[in-house]
Amino acid sequence: MRMLAAGITPVLAVVLAIIVGGIVVLASGSNPITAYESMLVGAVGSPFDISETFISSIPLILAAYAVSFAFRSGLFNIGAEGQLYMGAIAATWVATTLSDWPGLPLIIVCIVAAMAAGGAWAGIAGWLKAKTGAHEVITTMMLSYVAIDISHWLLEAGPMTPANAFGTPESGPIPPQAAFPVILPSWILPNARLNASLFLTILAGLVFAWILWRTPLGYEIRAVGLNAKAAAYGGINVARRLVIAMVIAGAFAGLAGMVPVWVQMRLYDSFSPGYGYEAIAVALVGKNSAVGIFLAGLLYGAMIHGAVAMQANANISGFLVQILQALVLFFVGAEVLIRWFLRRGGFRALAEAAS
Amino acid sequence: MDIVNTFATILARPDLWAGTLRFAAPLTLAALGGVISERSGVVNIAMEGMMLVGAFFAVLVGAATHDIVLATLASVLCGGLIATFHGVASIHLRANQIVSGMAINLFALGLTSFLMFRFYATSGTPSDIPALPDVNIPVINSIPFVGAVIGDLNSIVWVSILAVPVTWWFLFRTRIGLRIRAVGEHPRAADTLGVSVFRMRYLCVILSGLFSGLGGAYLALSVAHSFSDNMTSGAGFIALAAMIFGKWHPVGAFLACLLFGFGQSLGINLQGTGFPDQLVAATPYVLTVVALAGFVGRAVAPAADGVPYEVGE
Repeated sequence: MRMLAAGITPVLAVVLAIIVGGIVVLASGSNPITAYESMLVGAVGSPFDISETFISSIPLILAAYAVSFAFRSGLFNIGAEGQLYMGAIAATWVATTLSDWPGLPLIIVCIVAAMAAGGAWAGIAGWLKAKTGAHEVITTMMLSYVAIDISHWLLEAGPMTPANAFGTPESGPIPPQAAFPVILPSWILPNARLNASLFLTILAGLVFAWILWRTPLGYEIRAVGLNAKAAAYGGINVARRLVIAMVIAGAFAGLAGMVPVWVQMRLYDSFSPGYGYEAIAVALVGKNSAVGIFLAGLLYGAMIHGAVAMQANANISGFLVQILQALVLFFVGAEVLIRWFLRRGGFRALAEAAS
Repeated sequence: MDIVNTFATILARPDLWAGTLRFAAPLTLAALGGVISERSGVVNIAMEGMMLVGAFFAVLVGAATHDIVLATLASVLCGGLIATFHGVASIHLRANQIVSGMAINLFALGLTSFLMFRFYATSGTPSDIPALPDVNIPVINSIPFVGAVIGDLNSIVWVSILAVPVTWWFLFRTRIGLRIRAVGEHPRAADTLGVSVFRMRYLCVILSGLFSGLGGAYLALSVAHSFSDNMTSGAGFIALAAMIFGKWHPVGAFLACLLFGFGQSLGINLQGTGFPDQLVAATPYVLTVVALAGFVGRAVAPAADGVPYEVGE
């Protein structure tokens, strides 16, 4: 019953979002059935599309862990985007600098670099919050803009611009031996790009849950998040826990930044379509739990990938997806509304459990 | 010495200072709206979405009617309308206000881009949309330097500047302002004294939408003369930062907006001077972090900010 109750709000939120989104499509003079059908087919209609859906989802899931982990300590990490950029920059820099290293050690060093850079970037905000009380919503957001500007500089006119760049702002190539191995060999599914970063993402989810629910550190972080004053009274060093929580959160985001670069095998200017911001929605829809975030990330990733086919085949703007994502988020937020629907439908026990 | 000279030249340019005011104007409007909303106890991170909606409908109605008044009115009202959704979610449905705000932002991005594709996919927005008028001040215009800075600013820039003392007066010198602040600090007490918490909060959230919508209209009908997907590109979030930076006070928020405006203007004026302009663009953000950590100190939100109010028995 508890499992069912935990899932019922997001599922009903999706259903409501599809209905309201359909009305928007209808009002704009298109057929909602065609829109949803082509989006669904585009997202999961073939093994290749399923692989691509995963590719769209992975950075969202990892970045959402970054948002959620900080959230558990009571901090609103609105700047996962910048932490993600720092992770991407660090991993790319290591990979292009140590390009003569053998594969496995190089991959590991790149992962460590990405997580360290993301962690350090978020750690600044955590440290400032702990030391001076500077509001983390401002500092993480400001640091995001700074990180993105740094990446512009590095790629457009700085040390990461390759000598033979013909005006396209991009880094040198990631050496091929540093690539994540592709999961499905080409004789099973040609051109599939889904790689071992999926396993890293699952591992990240396990680590996320393990730290929070199975370690003293996680207990203390959650205690700080629930009531910082009580935690301090109980002898927890709140300032230090805030910094550690932000560093761990940033490490997830740093990894989230590395993954899309390792799909394109090059760091492009503005490579992120806003993963760090959409991750906030994914974290909220996933209710800050490891499994919830994974599922919410897959849903959002599927919508993003499905939108490409929908716009091409049904001539309906792919931005319908943002409308749907917003509606899902809105209905998840407005649980009272969902409970009211449940009660109306005669599911009183479920309505009470969903609260 | 070279650096000093370059900066001295740029600081003496009236363009730099006029640009500061221009860039600050939409931020100021949105930030003031945020201040009003949060003073009543409703967290508002949705200024970005409200501005975007304002910008789109300014262009849509402007293109259809060729009437600047109707276009501006439409953007203000649409900003207010989308703010009403935030109000219903956070006041009546007691939703998490950050969740609702993010949903509004995402919805606004989706809706405006969706409609953009629907109406203007192939051609872009029409070029014959009306523009918000500039205000040419005859006498001041002829004063050297000062004239070049403030002699020919857009009407909305002046509106944004005037809105600062008006908002201050409204919040701190009127009866309704006192009620708004009471509702934001201690809603139960205000309710006991007969102030309608819900009514005050709806008023403030909708006001924030009207302000942000006007900021969006300015971006579309004066700065860009067009609409493009996600054209606010974070201005609403900067306004949010300015609101917190300014400690939920209209004048503080305005000063923070001026700082951001100055940073943007400086970045543009430094282009072509050999400085890496990408890094210069980051200076206002670095300054904000430094200032926040160094001498602004702990920002304290209104006590009941973000806490839904439940009417007692």
